[in-house]
Amino acid sequence: MKRKLVAAIGVAGMMVSIAACGGDDGDGGKAGADGYAGQTLTVWVMDGSSPDQWQKDVTAAFEKKTKAKVKFEIQQWNGIQQKLTTALSEENPPDVFEIGNTQTPAYAKTGGLAELADLKSSIGADWTESLNNASVYEGKQYAAPWYFASRVVVYNKKVWADAGIKELPKTRDEFYADLKQIGSKTKAEPIYLPGQNWYHFVGLVVGEGAELVKKDGDKYVSNLDDPKVTAAMETYKKFQALSKAPKDKDEATPQQSEVFAKGNVGAFIGMGWEAATAVKANPEIEKQIGYFTIPGATADKPEGVFLGGSNLAVAAGSKKQELAKEFLRIALSDQYEGELAKQNGVIPNKESLQTNLKGNAAAEAAAPAAAGGGTTPLIPEWAAVENAPNPIKTYMTAVLNGKTPAAAAKQVEDEFNKRLSQQQ
Amino acid sequence: MKRSLFGRLWPNVTAVVLFIGFVFPVYWMFATALKPTGDIITEDPVWFPTDVTFEHFRTAVGVDHFWTYVTNSLVVTVCAVVLSLVVALVGSFALARMRFRGRRGFVIGFMLAQMAPWEVMIIAMYMIVRDASMLNSLVPLTAFYMMMILPFTILTLRGFVAAVPRDLEEAAMVDGCTRAQAFRRVILPLLAPGLMSTSLFGFVTAWNEFPLVLVVNKEAEAQTLPLWLSSFQTAFGDDWGATMAASSLFAVPILILFLFLQRKAVSGLTAGAVKG
Amino acid sequence: MTVQTERPPSGPADVRKTAGAGAPGTPTPRAASRTGGFAPYLLLLPACAATVLLLGWPLLKDVLLSFQNLNMAQLIQHVTEWNGISNYQKVLTGEDFWRVTLRSILFTAVNVVLIMVVGTLVGLLLARLGKRMRITLMIGLVLAWAMPVVAATTVYQWLFAQRFGVVNWVLDRLGWHSMADYSWTSSQLSTFFVVTVLIVWMSIPFVAVNLYAATTTIPGELYEAAALDGAGVWKSFTTVTLPFLRPFLYATTFLEIIWVFKAFVQVFTINGGGPDRLTETLPVYAYIEGVGNQHYGMGAAIAVLTILILLGLTAHYLRIVLKQEEDEL
Repeated sequence: MKRKLVAAIGVAGMMVSIAACGGDDGDGGKAGADGYAGQTLTVWVMDGSSPDQWQKDVTAAFEKKTKAKVKFEIQQWNGIQQKLTTALSEENPPDVFEIGNTQTPAYAKTGGLAELADLKSSIGADWTESLNNASVYEGKQYAAPWYFASRVVVYNKKVWADAGIKELPKTRDEFYADLKQIGSKTKAEPIYLPGQNWYHFVGLVVGEGAELVKKDGDKYVSNLDDPKVTAAMETYKKFQALSKAPKDKDEATPQQSEVFAKGNVGAFIGMGWEAATAVKANPEIEKQIGYFTIPGATADKPEGVFLGGSNLAVAAGSKKQELAKEFLRIALSDQYEGELAKQNGVIPNKESLQTNLKGNAAAEAAAPAAAGGGTTPLIPEWAAVENAPNPIKTYMTAVLNGKTPAAAAKQVEDEFNKRLSQQQ
Repeated sequence: MKRSLFGRLWPNVTAVVLFIGFVFPVYWMFATALKPTGDIITEDPVWFPTDVTFEHFRTAVGVDHFWTYVTNSLVVTVCAVVLSLVVALVGSFALARMRFRGRRGFVIGFMLAQMAPWEVMIIAMYMIVRDASMLNSLVPLTAFYMMMILPFTILTLRGFVAAVPRDLEEAAMVDGCTRAQAFRRVILPLLAPGLMSTSLFGFVTAWNEFPLVLVVNKEAEAQTLPLWLSSFQTAFGDDWGATMAASSLFAVPILILFLFLQRKAVSGLTAGAVKG
Repeated sequence: MTVQTERPPSGPADVRKTAGAGAPGTPTPRAASRTGGFAPYLLLLPACAATVLLLGWPLLKDVLLSFQNLNMAQLIQHVTEWNGISNYQKVLTGEDFWRVTLRSILFTAVNVVLIMVVGTLVGLLLARLGKRMRITLMIGLVLAWAMPVVAATTVYQWLFAQRFGVVNWVLDRLGWHSMADYSWTSSQLSTFFVVTVLIVWMSIPFVAVNLYAATTTIPGELYEAAALDGAGVWKSFTTVTLPFLRPFLYATTFLEIIWVFKAFVQVFTINGGGPDRLTETLPVYAYIEGVGNQHYGMGAAIAVLTILILLGLTAHYLRIVLKQEEDEL
């Protein structure tokens, strides 16, 4: 044996090592004949969107009813589309996953989402129509509305008190003046507003009564050169100038709530539940956190907001369709949908469940603005715009770095239009 | 030859400046990792961590699946390096010592292979792995990492094999060794520095790779440290202490390996060459 | 880690060559035994099999993908939609691709020149230093060399951070107050500056340490001979050191061109090709168009073109090697 050619040893060594390098191969186990026992359902949820307690409760209920297991996997928004697309093409995609409402139409079109007509008829009769729109593509139900939320001002009561502010601002100008006062009277940063919090920018655009895209024939094209969009950007710029946050980063890098958690920031514009992240990072901040509606140009009308939301979808390639629907029935049941609304302060998918928001400070602050909220256009072409580098973000950074809005709009127009007309 | 004071001074001064320039980023990584947050986020940098804390390291290690990542990284890297050394050694022996039709073609072939820009072929690789139902496994990772370092290893080792005096091998063969024996008993020991230096390169490459593992292995059980480090950075973007602690942990194995092997590799190379 | 040259990295073979044909070291017919038969092919089999399977196949797949319309829907549903040369048409007729190509080449050129020049100087400096100083500097170089790319990139982000970054602090202290809160990722040039510093910092040790190692193999007699001829420092450098190191320098430049041109993690992580896609080099561009924009067929086409351009850039060196191999046989 030892006299054999070195090559032979090499080949043999290769085989041995490859065998030794083998990883474990998943759980592969299919259900037996009796029910779902032994199966594991994989559920992707986005970072921060559902509290641990809710996950625990739903898991318990689900496991009790189906005897199957459920595995929650937390995903980050950054790069989620790339990850989701490849995952949906795989043999074992996540069975159930959370998907942003603006991204749903594109994925519905790809055929990656299972149709949920039966679910809609069995549990979705009273889903709020406007919230369900994003889940419907060409008349078919491809996802289930899960929760919705709009941004509020999360503020640090102590910082505001230190600055001597007694009353919360009712208008945009008052808000600005208060922040200025924080800047001059305290050592805190008045507001943490990174240059690319584009959801807030979309809200401002909605508030101006404009849209980011317009129709040109049967195509969608950039509407960034609209004077109303320019006005929205000017507002953003004015407030951003009060922040030391980077102009070329979004609110998730770093997580704005974690910056806020350090206690040296007056306010940030974000989702109510982001406060929970802040508390996790620094428990002492909890009693200092307050919320108020983003003030609009006049006291009678709050600022426009982006009605962010998430749907739950089932992968068309999942081999556990029934089990996945079983999960949706439990997660979206009045009990757990209500619990989510209560814990996270988000708008539930049914009007009847809105009572759960009573007493939730963040939700109460968000409520007045919701009526005037809007989304990005719910068209399949939109998802491509959100891929990095998102031209809207590029536009914002360009303006914040001194370009005129018109020049910045011109700068990103080609890229924006290219994405809107991208071959599907 | 006597040099002026200036003539003796400037190389040393330059060396000191260079030393600081090269070491500082590494030093700053460790220093930041060891400082309490209050000393990191300061208007004036705290140059030396006087108040050492391991809190950031605890944060970094406390991430779910940390030890899985460590194990995976080690397994994948070591397997890839060993495999490529074995395969390359055998091949380089043929390239350096034998004459045969098409030899030049092989050499050029490996040079071309060395140029492969792997990052741009990610999707093709992903689809191959996916269609072979090998996702979330360490096997394709090991295989591809092995391939990423193989051309460099084979070409470098070829140089080392060729540099071993032929007479030695012949002497061994005259003494009745077969060619394989001559290779194993005479050449192999002389190749040690070459093996070390190529394995260093291989180790670093495999240890660092993340675009492929990012798309191929979505399950934490099959992920590696670079993913942990880059996701860590997203999650703790502002927490430089924790991020630097994570970077330090990631870098330490390589730093140790380098300090340990590099001197031998370089001095071995030098000594071998001088003797020749 | 060392560099491969077309010939042994240092020493014996070179010396033998310069010693002239017919010298005892020249391969005799017997020594270079024509082992004939299958042995060499058998020995090369594992390496070739691996290359074909693990590199050839993805490459072929990539070429095939480049002739397909492959987007989210097609990928998810495993559909193959051939669309001829339409991807290439789109890429080659758009100005983006050419701009990125030019940028990549410039970027590679600047980095490689810096690396080679500074690296060589540092290597020569090492040869001049006293032992203790040399080991010190060597340790510094090895530390920088050993920093894994992902970690190094993270560290550089921290060094150049807008807030509390040590670079901005130093610049501010040096009297350049506008840099106190400077965002290095805000412009094309400053982003490239950071990326270049990072890449040069990481790459110099490789050149310097290996070059130093190579200089130690230059036979002292050559210098003595040059000195006898009355050569000064500069003269002996150009007549002895440089010619001796030439093959090494060629090989290293070749490697550095490949490595810098392919540099993905550094460029991508520091600023994601931003601001406004102004720092995308070809690999980053291919990645963003392909994976990022989920235009996989298009990305594959750009990948193929990237490979062709890299081949073009290194063609000169490959030709030299080709000739050299011929000579050796």
